[in-house]
Parts: sequence; C-alpha cells; structure tokens
Amino acid sequence: MTNRLAERPTPPRWGMVIDVNRCVGCQTCTVACKHWNDTQPGVQWRSVIDVETGRYPNVERFFLVVGCQHCAVPPCVPVCPTGATQQRDDGLVTMNYDTCIGCAACAVACPYDARTIAHEHQWYYGEETPQEESARHPEREGVAQKCTFCVDKVDEATASKRDPAIDFEVMPACAASCISNAIYFGDFNNPASNVSTLVRDQPTMRLNEDLGTDPQIKYLYSTPTVPGRDADADDFDEQQQSDPANPLVGKRQTFWDWRAAMNWCLGGLGSGLAASAWVAYIIGQISMQEIHQLQLIAGVIILAGLFFVWLKIGRRWRAWRALWRPQTSWMSRELYAAGVFLASVMATTQVSQPVVGLYHLAGLAAACFLLCQARILHSAKGIPAWRTLRVPWLIVASGLLEGVGLTLLLVSTNMISSGGSVYLDPSKLAGVMVALALLNMLLWLGYRYGADRAARPPLANRIVDNMSWPLLIVGHLVPVLLALAAWLDGASSAALLGTAGFLAMAGGMFWKCGLILKASYQHGFSLTRLPQRGSGTRAAPSLVA
Amino acid sequence: MKDDVTGSNKQSVPLYCYQCPAGPDLMRVEVEDGVAKRIVSNFDIAEEHPGGGRVCVKAYGLIQKTYNPHRIRQPMKRTNPNKGRDEDPGFVPISWQEAFQIVGEKLREIRTRGLVNEEGMPRVASTTGGGGTPVQYMGSFPAFLAAWGPIDQSYGAGQGVKCYHSEHLYGELWHRAFTVSPDTPRVNYIINCGNNVESTGGVIGVWRGANARARGVKRVQVEPHLSVTGAVSAEWVPIKPKTDAAFLYALLHRMLIEQSFETTCDLPHLKKMTNSPYLVGPNGWFLRDVESGKPQVWDLSTDSAKPFDDEVGDVALTGTFQASGFESGADNETIQHDECQTQPAFQCLIEHMRPYDADWAETECEVPAETIRRVADEYVSQAKIGETIDIQGHTLPYRPVAVMLGKGVNNGWGGYHCCWARTLLATLVGALEVPGGTLGTTVKLVRPATSRVGSVLPGEDGFMHHSFNPTSANEWEREPKVRNAYKMLVPLACDSPWSPALGPAHLPWLFQKSAPKNWPRTQPPDLWFCYRTNPAISSWNTSEVAARLAEFPFIVAFAYTEDETNHFADVLLPEATDLESTQLIRIGGTKFVENYWHHDGWAIRQKAIEPIHDTMDMTDIASHLAREAGILDGYVDAINHGAAGSRLSRANCYDFSLDKENMPAGDDIWDAMCKAVSWDMSDGDEIHDLNWFRREGYMLREFQELDWYLYPALERQGLRFEMPYQERLTRHGKQLEHRLREIGLDWWDDQLAEYEFMPTYQSFSDIWKNYVTEFGEDPEAYPFWALTAHSMPYAWGANVGIPLMHEVALNLAGHDGVIINRARAHDLAINEGDAVMIESVTGTTQGTAVLREGIRPDTILMIGQFDHWKTPIARDLGLASINSVTDISLKLTDSTGSGADLVRVKIYPVDKHLATRHDRISRVTTS
Repeated sequence: MTNRLAERPTPPRWGMVIDVNRCVGCQTCTVACKHWNDTQPGVQWRSVIDVETGRYPNVERFFLVVGCQHCAVPPCVPVCPTGATQQRDDGLVTMNYDTCIGCAACAVACPYDARTIAHEHQWYYGEETPQEESARHPEREGVAQKCTFCVDKVDEATASKRDPAIDFEVMPACAASCISNAIYFGDFNNPASNVSTLVRDQPTMRLNEDLGTDPQIKYLYSTPTVPGRDADADDFDEQQQSDPANPLVGKRQTFWDWRAAMNWCLGGLGSGLAASAWVAYIIGQISMQEIHQLQLIAGVIILAGLFFVWLKIGRRWRAWRALWRPQTSWMSRELYAAGVFLASVMATTQVSQPVVGLYHLAGLAAACFLLCQARILHSAKGIPAWRTLRVPWLIVASGLLEGVGLTLLLVSTNMISSGGSVYLDPSKLAGVMVALALLNMLLWLGYRYGADRAARPPLANRIVDNMSWPLLIVGHLVPVLLALAAWLDGASSAALLGTAGFLAMAGGMFWKCGLILKASYQHGFSLTRLPQRGSGTRAAPSLVA
Repeated sequence: MKDDVTGSNKQSVPLYCYQCPAGPDLMRVEVEDGVAKRIVSNFDIAEEHPGGGRVCVKAYGLIQKTYNPHRIRQPMKRTNPNKGRDEDPGFVPISWQEAFQIVGEKLREIRTRGLVNEEGMPRVASTTGGGGTPVQYMGSFPAFLAAWGPIDQSYGAGQGVKCYHSEHLYGELWHRAFTVSPDTPRVNYIINCGNNVESTGGVIGVWRGANARARGVKRVQVEPHLSVTGAVSAEWVPIKPKTDAAFLYALLHRMLIEQSFETTCDLPHLKKMTNSPYLVGPNGWFLRDVESGKPQVWDLSTDSAKPFDDEVGDVALTGTFQASGFESGADNETIQHDECQTQPAFQCLIEHMRPYDADWAETECEVPAETIRRVADEYVSQAKIGETIDIQGHTLPYRPVAVMLGKGVNNGWGGYHCCWARTLLATLVGALEVPGGTLGTTVKLVRPATSRVGSVLPGEDGFMHHSFNPTSANEWEREPKVRNAYKMLVPLACDSPWSPALGPAHLPWLFQKSAPKNWPRTQPPDLWFCYRTNPAISSWNTSEVAARLAEFPFIVAFAYTEDETNHFADVLLPEATDLESTQLIRIGGTKFVENYWHHDGWAIRQKAIEPIHDTMDMTDIASHLAREAGILDGYVDAINHGAAGSRLSRANCYDFSLDKENMPAGDDIWDAMCKAVSWDMSDGDEIHDLNWFRREGYMLREFQELDWYLYPALERQGLRFEMPYQERLTRHGKQLEHRLREIGLDWWDDQLAEYEFMPTYQSFSDIWKNYVTEFGEDPEAYPFWALTAHSMPYAWGANVGIPLMHEVALNLAGHDGVIINRARAHDLAINEGDAVMIESVTGTTQGTAVLREGIRPDTILMIGQFDHWKTPIARDLGLASINSVTDISLKLTDSTGSGADLVRVKIYPVDKHLATRHDRISRVTTS
C-alpha cells in the first residue's frame, strides 16, 4: 500500500466524489453503513434516493447518494448549543454523543436532512436479537446522529499511516462497499488524490450549492455519451415540487413538535410582555410596581415555555450543557438571556428596597431573549420557511404585539391595575397594539408575498397561504377593529379591548405554531446540473447524423 | 483473535453469498463473542473478482436472517391431518430422531411399493427455487436425490415464467448461452429490451456496467416502464408490452431492406460462419447434395451448387438459382429435386423480413418509426464491421454491439421471436460470440456442464452438436416419465439435470387439477421435498397452486420460517442457514449473469457461528435421510462421484473417496472435497484440507479470457452458427406434431405452430388481451398491462421477510406499492398512497398506489412478487403481487413451456369498489 499520508504536505480535507452515472440505487452503501455503524431501525446515515424528473414521455430517473455533506461551512456547527457538533481540522463534522442534549438545533439547521434523533431504541423484529444486543449504542439514544465519514476508520488510517482513499479496511463503509464504484473518498487538499483528479477532469455539481455551505460531496454527472445539461423548469414543475412523495422535496420536520413550539409561543409572549413593559418603563409610562408585576408574569410564562422545550429535548438531565456555546449558538444565548431575566426578576422579589437596575436588566434580558428566539429560527438553514429575511423581524414584532395584547387583556380584565399609568391606560395601550398589529400585518404580507415567498418551497407556501387570512383577520384586523370600536363605544370598551388583546396574542401563537409545526418543510435537494439521458427530449444525443 | 481493548473475541470468517444466480460473491462475517455482528466484503479477492470483491445489499441481510426470531427452531410435525389454507397445521416440536424416523419410514415404504406410481411417475418429487441457487446451500442433498432413483423435479415454483426461458433453450442451441450477456468491458452500444441487469446482474453486473458507462457505452433501454437499468441508460424508449419482437424485426428490416445489407452486414462472416448461404428447397428444407447429404451453397464463381464445406470460390447470399438435390423433411421424408428453384437462406430471410418495416412496427409496438430507424442505424454504425482485436495472441473480430432481452420479453409467446431476432441482429454484423459482442455465459443443458467452450462439438450440417430430446418415431418418449413431460413435449429442453425445471414446469399444477385429453391422470407425489422455494407465492395463480399443494399427501419441507408452502407440510426440518453450515462452491470462469473472470476456483461457505437453534446442516440431514431410507451406500457413492460438487477420486491422481459403509460426518465430506478440488486445480501441487479453506476462504487458478468467446472454438472446428435458418428445429417440430397426432393429443397444437424455418410475427400482446374473453369478459374492461420487475434487495433468499432489506428497499420507488402513470392515475381519481385493487379475470391483489412518470399510461408495475399470508414480516407488508392475478393456462404457454409475467387488469381505489372486490374474491375462491 502506498504510504501517501506520510507524504502529504498539508492537512487533509476529506470529502467524497459520487458518480451519478455509475450509481444504480442498489442501497448497498446504505446497508453497509448501517452494518458498520450499527444504526437502529429507520436510521440511515447514508441513503440513496430515487429521483424522477420531467413528465411522461420526457422523463429521466436517477439515483442520488445523500447524507451529511461534511460542509466546509457547516450550518449545524455554530447552532449547536453544547459543542457536541464540531468540525475537525480535516473537515470532518463530528458528533460527541456524550455532550449532545438532543435539542435538534443542528438537525433543523442542516439543509441536507442528514441528521436523525432516535429517542427510543427499536428492534428490527420488535424484540432484541443477539446481534442487536451486541451492536447497541445507548449513547446515541436521544441525541443527534449522522454520517461521520466513518471517522473511526479515518482515524485508524491516520494512526496506521494508511490511505483511506485506497485501503478498503480504513475507507468509509459506503465507499468500500459500493458495487458500482460510484463513491470515492479522498483528500481534496491533495491535488494528486483520487477525488481531486476526478473533479479536475470532469464537471461536477453539488447539492444546494446556493446556500453557501460549501458541501464536500461533489457529484459527477456526465460521460462521453451522456453529456450534462442545465436543470430546467420542466424538470421539477410546481406540482412536482409540491409532491411529498418526491424525494427531492423536503419533508416536514418532526424534530421540533408542539413542546418546542410552546417555547416560541410562551417565550415570545413572555419576553414581548416584559420587553414592551420595559420600554414603557424607560420612557416613564409605567411605575416600578407595575413593571414588577408584569415582569413577574412574564417570568412565569417564559419559564413555562422553557419547561416545555425541556420536555422535548432528548437528554433532559444534560440540558445544562446548552450553555456551552454562547459564542455562536443563539440557543445558548437564549438560555443566558432567560437566566439573567429570571434571576433579575427573582432578585426583585428578594430585595427589601426596589433596585431600578434590576428592572432594566430584566427588561434588557427579555429583549435579548426575544431576539435570540428570532435568531434561532433564522439560523435553521434547513427550514426555508424559518430562515428567510423577515422571520426574525416577525418574531420580534409578534412578540411585542403579543406582549402588549396580553397587557391589554390583563388590564381590561382588571387582573392588574392600571394605577393611572399612561402605558396601562387601555385606550393608549390599544393604540400601541394597533400600531404593532399594523406593523405585524405589513411584515406578514411581506413574508407571504415578498422575497421570502420565492425562498420557500411550494408546500410551505401553501401552509403560509392557508394561515394568512385567519392571521390577518383574527390576529391583526379584528384586534384593530375592536380597538377602534372600543374607542367609539366607551361602555363596552373593556370587553372589546380585552378581546382585542386576546386575539392579538392568540394570532401570534397561531402563526408561530403554524410556522414551526406546519410550514416547516425541510430544504430538500436542489440540482443545477443533470445528466442528459432518459426518454423523449431527455434522451442522450444520437450517435448518427 | 482477542481484542486488547475490549477483551472480546473477534473473528473475521470468510464465506460466500449465493442468494442470487449472479453470484457467488465472497464476504466476511465479523463474529464477536460468538455473535455474528456484521457483514463486510472480502477484499482479499478484490483484484481477481470482476466486481471488485464486493457483495451486494442482499448479503447484509444474512445476519438478520440468522437471528430471525420467527425461525423454525426444531423439527416439527403436523398434527392436523386436514390441509388447506384455512387449516391450522398444528405443528408440534419433535426431536430430530423422531423426524428422521417419520420421514425414513415414509421413504422405506415408498421403496417397498416401487419408485414409480401406477402412471409411471416418480413417487418422490423435489422442488428447489432461486435459479439453481439452493443447490449451493443444500450440501450433499443432491447425492441423496441421485442415490434415490427416479425423482420428479418437474414441479415448478415459477420456472418458465420468472427466468430467461426462451434464452435458456434457444440460447444454448445457437451459441451455448443459457443466459446472454454483452461483452460489457468492450461493448460500445447496447439495445436492451427490458433486461434489468442493474438489478439482476448482481455485483459483477453492476460493476462492469458502471465501468462501461463511465467509458462511454450507449445503452438504449426499450421497455414499458423506466426500470433501474433504464434509469442509468442513455435513452429510454417506452414500448407497448409484449411487442418487442416487432421492434426487433423492424431493426432487422432497416438493416436488411431499407438500408443496403451489403453495407450493414458482415458478409464474409455470414458466408463463412452461418447458414445464410445454405440453399433452401421448394419445401423449405435445405437442398442437400445427393452424394454427401450435406446442405449445399451456390458458388458464384462456378455457377453451381456445392456442399457447404467444399472449396467454394464466391458463395452466394442472395439470388434465385436452379439446382439439383434433395430435401430431408420430417421423419426421414426425402424429397428429390432433379432441377428446382432454390434460394440461399439469406435471400429467404430478406423475403421473410420484408413486411416488417419501421412504420408497421410503430403501429404494433408504439415506438416511433423514426426512433426505430435511428436505433438500427446507430447499431450498425457502432458495430465496427471488419475490425479485429487481439485477445491473448489470437486475432478475433471486434464488434462492440449487443442486444439484450429481459425476462418478460424472453418468456411466453413471442419469446422465441425475440431471441431469434436478437441473435440474428448479432449474427448479421458478426457480433455473436466475439469481443465486444453478444455472448453466452454458461451451459446447463448441453454437456460438459463445466465448460461452455468444451461443449462446442461438431454436429450435423456444420453446426454444433445439440442433444435435442428425440422426436423420431422410435426414440420419442411416448409417455411422460415426469409430470411436466419435458422430454415428450419440448425437444429443446435436452435431458440434463436442469432440464426438468426447464420444461413446462407449471403444467403439473394444472394437470393435477384436471388432466387434458389423452393424458394420464396426474397424481401428486407420495412424498415431496421442498427446499428454499415457495411455489404457493412464486408461481402463477398462487391460490390454485396452494390448492394443489393441499392435495399432496406428504410434504417434507426444509424450513427456515413458516411460509405459504410449508404451511401444507407434514414435517418441517429446519436447516442450519447460510452462516451456520458448510459447503464448497465453484467460482469464476464464465457464468450467469455477467460472471466473466480471469480465474476460476472454489470458495467455501462455513459455519461462522454455532447454530443458534436445534437446526442441522443440510449435509447432515441428507446423510441421516440416506441412512433412514436404506440408501447410504448409494448416497456415499454419489458423493464420491461428484454429486455434492466435485468427484473425490481421479484415476491415477488422487482418491479421497469416503467409506460407503459408514455415514460420513459433514466435515469429512467437505474435507475430502477440499482436497479433491485443490488437487484438481493445481494438478496435485497443492492439496488443501477443510481447515485451509476455512482460513483462506477460496482457491483460484487462471482462466483464459479467450474462453469468454465461442467464436475461436467454432472457427477452429469449421463450425457455423445455426442462424438465421431453423431447419433442424423445424424438423423436430414437425416430427413432434406427427408423434402427438399418433397419440391423439391436440392441446399442444398452438405450441407446435411455433416451429418454423424463420419465425413469423404475430400480435403477441393480443394473446393476453383476448385471454379475457375466455372468461366471457370484455377485454376493454381490463385496460392495463400488469408487469413485474426484479428487486435487488428483495429477490431470492426469503429477503422480503427480513426487516433490514425492507427498510432499505423502501428508498427505491415502488417497493411499497403499485407503480402507475401519474396522469393516468389522476384520471382514475387515484392519488399517491391510495389503496388500490388490481383485478384480472382470475384473481385480485391489493396494494398502494405509487404515482410515477416513468411508466406508460397503459401499464402498471408490481415490483417483486409478494402476496404472503403466512411468512412472518412479509405477510404484514401489504404488497401486491402479479402472481395473484396471473393464470396457469395452456393458452398462455409457448412451445418451450414458458409463460410470461404479464396480465390484463383493471385497477381502482379500494373503497369505491369494495363490493366488487368481495364479489371477485368469492368468485375466485369458489372457482
């Protein structure tokens, strides 16, 4: 075996080249990966999808090996709040199962649907077999897992100075097992390597290249008789992009369920309540006692939201590890913000004399918390409906609207006393709410029709469209109209404003639940180049004039 | 090996996977503390194995197969004497001793009564499945069968339908091609009618195909649905099912008539290496030389007819001449001609093909005439007529074009026409059995079985010898000796150990229910052995087969799990499965599907782990059965003579024969076999025992690449390919017609019509379309063609019941349902995932709709063939099966005894037609 590792002048940059014209979709790599990595039922770190483009009789079918792309700019790494997901110097994006808490931030950040969280171990036959018993990995339960490029083999190669590009024993299982020799593993930093040679000599494409992740799996797509061609509109028309059975179309994420959504609903509400009250306090429109009351309420709400999300994570008793990555993770930052807020609020209840700074600190922390929530969703690069431009603005604006709405509800139902403060004057508060509702309306319309729309897949657009009228009417317009009605009809204004506040609050929760649970289709796979082969207009060029 | 870190015992055990005919492939099982943990390819053989030493997806299922909790864990016997699908067999555990006593008693009783029954049929029958693969798992059981005496192995489990049947029979006649392959490493252009080699070709097929594509091969895939192979082909041409012959005939027409055959054909090849110049008399038989009796050719340089092997100046391929001679017809009929009009067979061919132009074909097969013409022109342009290549110092023609046929194309009516047209397309450009061209893989009918090239022996009229089953008046087998009567009805089936399975293997099921006119009553066998096969699922009309199985008085099933066939068994004998037992297999050389090696040799399958249940290695089961039946000496003798793989002695060379007096231990058998085969391979230089093979896994020696090709052997012996004219075959057909008339048998008349000098096209698809009227129904009410396709993860080895295989199979479209054209489905208000009923005139099957673009609007596809109702896991998958809607029928059986996986159906969402469905089911049940 040539000892090429020892000769390499620079650190390796491991990656793969996959030949679409060689791959026959046999799934040998899929199953070899499952064997080598002992993955449990339903978990496939490597798989091959079966793709069709065009319409009969102009059709093409091909197979696409997918999995973690070990991106040079991996969106999963910075979002990880624990540091369990790391990128090594050789480019491998790795998982530390012992520190991962199973929060799924990485999973929704991955635009390649490469990550899985298996919360419970399952057995293929419904009962444990001796082989499964011996191959069980309890450390992977409840945490994120994905392709590691068979890091154990790569490390063994390094330790034994062997080349995983050519030595089957230390080559990633998928590449070593491939029966069509379609998967090549190697070092892109070595210009003489197999993979460097392949991509230098032949045109390549990469999946979802426009996302800027710099994926390190490159696909060959042409042969001397099957040239490449640009993907065109007929390859994937809107109906095909809306077909959940189409493997190129992203599935609806299931990593974050209603418990995670409750964090945005309650966290947004609570932080919006606290932040809006803090603004009012800064400008001297409410008293210290009143902000104290509102911050206490907000604290309970935020805490409830965090409790729900805590219920969702895979490894609850390691949740503290989520504080480990504040330098990059908005989730870590959110926790710090929550911690500061809750600590400040708690402190305000413990001190004998009011400390103004604590209220400012709590208010600032609540605002940060709200901002963190906005950025967490925005950082989820794998979910187009979340990552678009207006989403963070919507989260912030909606949080404030919900907070004001709740304040209005509390005031209107006399659950807190207005005490003569300007801010807590129902009619003034209603004015703020109307302004925020209109702002939210504009943002939502922009989200629905603006550039965000083009960035979302049709399935997500369908959900956004379905949510729009209920949201615009019930969550925005009706509260505005009720506020106007209240101004006109002073007698029943408390009921009208209370209802308006409730609806504003409910509207915010409605669209956030919709966004997180319904419109949350994953990115899927976008292709820019395809082989020229298939039937009709897709057929390869004729060999005769 | 002890792992220093974990302290566990780890082993890497070499063995083979032969779950499909495309193997064997070599693998290693990693065993840790006695538990088989994972499968990996055996990369020791990466250099020599034409598939890079890999194993395919199926091999990885073997560990779950081993640890399947649903396995039969000890011998069982039936307690319910009533048999039927709805009868609980009441299996209860018994000891191996009791099991052998029960079966032994039955066997001894049969030997006492006589080995054949009142109708002259063997009282013992045996069926295996899987394209011969079970033989590589049944240890020395073939020796038991050999020692027993007459055994009926003609009960099919799908044979004749699920194989390349016409190719098997005609392929061996024409170019020793039990199956056919392109010379993939050298071919540049492939016309592929429905052959799904990227699924069926195993590791080697996939590996070689991928290399060919990367090199730039162009493959045109002609099929009704876009298969895996179509997907990776350069072009997919959708074609109406069962009309491939029209497409192929039109290609021939383009080459022979529209274009100048002088530029499209390899004329020197046709003159020298085929029967194209043989003169044909007025009655269609060759015009023979009066003195020598040999077929004549026309010498243009002397303007005279001469025996084909005389010195001839310039032989005529075309024209009409006046010549003398005689025609030799059926049953020695001689027709003398002092002076008659005669034409070379090639001229007859041109006349024969004249009606079949591309425009005609378009109306028949619905492929645009322009496409047909282009494909023909591309084929000719890539054939490189006149070029040569050097192979191991021999100069051979180089013709890098090939034509392949799929199973549905090959089988049943029209299969002969397609095989003939395909072989002729290769013949015309000189691409048969030469580098780059269309090749055979192996032989199973002609002998010697171990050497395809060695089977090229001189026969009559300048062709290769072929052992037709005789049809002459005094040699024809007048009464069937096995229930499918292959020797009687199918001259081409020959009489090798494989022949029973290559006759009309579905007829025993049909005739057991109701014997046709002038045919002996077909009684079921007194005892039936069933090994690694499940005809109650894999045959046509599975409910009918199940009903016949219920009539079998005594079934011994070598069982892995309960299944639809052993549901009717009387005794279940659980074998130690793939990773728990020992056997040797021949590897390398040339073999189906794309096995072309530079080596041949032997590899071992061995006990990687101790059997986890009270199961037994098949070799030990066979030995016990032989002893119980009182045939131990014959059994050991059969092993000594090679019935378990290779002979154990060779005169003046070696003698590792086993003692016939004692029951041999399994290890002793394989130890002797190891020594014998290693001696054979090394001429005695290396003698390796069982332990050596267990350690090393395999032994190889070089195999000549020149032996991939038949052409040199024919050329060396002055032999010709028997193309395009089928005089010999037609003579057998006519004689068979005479014989059948003599015994008053007329239900094989349609089949006899297939024996023609050159096959005449019929609208074969209409046979299936009109079959609906047999049941008094309107063909228009069944507007879809239902087809099936091979699945690599599922096929063979009971893989559909292995959850890991099912999981990964679901990544491929259609593995969880019925594929239907999207637009057509929407017309029928069928949406993705809808439960749909598929209904033919004889049955129904239910599945889930999978909407795709890559399928003709008049076609639906059911991948795999699974309608399990008993097999654990598989019975819960809810997969549709074509076998539940096809019929066993003489009407759908061609002259080779084969049918096709094809049926006309209607399809509808289940809920809307529930009542209809129930009606149908009850009708089928009562019928």
